[in-house]
Amino acid sequence: MSESAIRLNRVAKTFPNGTVALSPVTLSIAPGSFTSLVGPSGCGKSTLLRLIAGLTEPTAGAMTRTARPGGTSFVFQDATLMPWATVADNVALPLRLAGVADIKTKVDEALERVGLAGFGASYPRELSGGMKMRVSIARAVVIGPELLLMDEPFAALDEFTRFKLNDDLLALWQNNRWTVIFVTHSIREAVFLSDRIVIMSPRPGRVVADMAINLPQRDADLRLGHDFADQCARVSAALGDAMHAGAAA
Amino acid sequence: MKPAIMPAVFGLLVLTLWESAVRINGVPEYILPSPTAIIMALWTSGPELLGALAVTLQVTVAALILAAVTGAGIAFALAQWKTAEQTLFPYAVFLQVTPIVTVAPFIIIWVENIFVVLLILAWMSAVFPIISNTLLGLKSADANLKDMFRLYGASRWQTATRLLAPSALPYFLGGLRISGGLALIGTVVAEMVAGTSGTYSGLASRLMEASYRLELARALACFVLLSATGFALYLLLDALSRRLLRHWHESARHES
Repeated sequence: MSESAIRLNRVAKTFPNGTVALSPVTLSIAPGSFTSLVGPSGCGKSTLLRLIAGLTEPTAGAMTRTARPGGTSFVFQDATLMPWATVADNVALPLRLAGVADIKTKVDEALERVGLAGFGASYPRELSGGMKMRVSIARAVVIGPELLLMDEPFAALDEFTRFKLNDDLLALWQNNRWTVIFVTHSIREAVFLSDRIVIMSPRPGRVVADMAINLPQRDADLRLGHDFADQCARVSAALGDAMHAGAAA
Repeated sequence: MKPAIMPAVFGLLVLTLWESAVRINGVPEYILPSPTAIIMALWTSGPELLGALAVTLQVTVAALILAAVTGAGIAFALAQWKTAEQTLFPYAVFLQVTPIVTVAPFIIIWVENIFVVLLILAWMSAVFPIISNTLLGLKSADANLKDMFRLYGASRWQTATRLLAPSALPYFLGGLRISGGLALIGTVVAEMVAGTSGTYSGLASRLMEASYRLELARALACFVLLSATGFALYLLLDALSRRLLRHWHESARHES
């Protein structure tokens, strides 16, 4: 196997108030893979993601990442757009902060990729929830990220919009092969998108299952097949065990 | 525009009652002048009073601009350095709760230039709402956006100009609307306390003069002009706020 994009060695996080957010986690993420973190609320998925992003420091353990500085993007559950800036200016933000040239072309291309060509001059409040999330994704991919971290990005959307965004995200990833770590509550979403699912126990969070998802061909029709249902059942069972493990601990 | 008609009708009604009460009872002008007498005073002394108003406005506008710049600057400094906020904010509160009338005598002794005296006193009245509102705005910048700026390696300057300043803008403008009225009140009080009639004659000093001479119609004409100015200042700042926020802030929503 090639070098890991991320390697966590017994990384743990305890908040200053004494709450253990994350028990020691050891995890290695392959470059170009799509990994979902699944687990109950408060299991430390988001903390783990913020640790990987470098937004918070671990209280124990070591982490290595290969992504260049400024090569990591983060998508939050809320679109987290600047309401005072146009769509184009929002998408341009990471480029402007980095002082990159040729911003206009890159922004137009990113908007095109998320299906928002022509919306550059709009303001966020003129857009629907799904469109705002598309802007957020465009801002994340505009830098050509090596590592894309997504924290329940579609949780607040209705199911129809969510499926559409899943389809589009999958297509984007298949074309670009960024390393993606995706936090979600939805087993169906995780199975549909990922080639690997990591299941975490209730707080204090730790990894209780780590499963590969092998599905022949991924597209919108996938959700209708038996293979998909079988994989969902398998993950669901593992998640059930994780909850029991948490309750026993 | 029904909302504008109702206050207008009410105002006319009050003025009519006032006029007839004065006429029927034959109240002398040095006790209570009638509205028409005030209008006459406005008409005959108009140019002179407008000249005095210009002097007052000069101080008010200068104080407001100074308060906007220094207030925003102080708020930024307090937001950047936590220790500075803890150390200095109580003194900002002190500035706010101290009646400027009590400070005026000292300023008048220490500072020779009367324009500067008035400016200092008006600035003292106006600056606090801008400091406290802007500080609140700077602190309410979206936490996830802050993380985003950190993730992309934003410098302190980039974060201040591209994230903190726009986040604080609606709050700053809210403070500015309050401070507009306060700057005018501060100027008027300062003029009255400083007794500037000889050297530097604003509209408030004219009002005092007129009332000493029992020319109440003229005094009330000054009062009307000052109130109208305060109202106009508010409308102007409100329009500025709507214009700057029209694309994105809820407070400016009903325009388009």
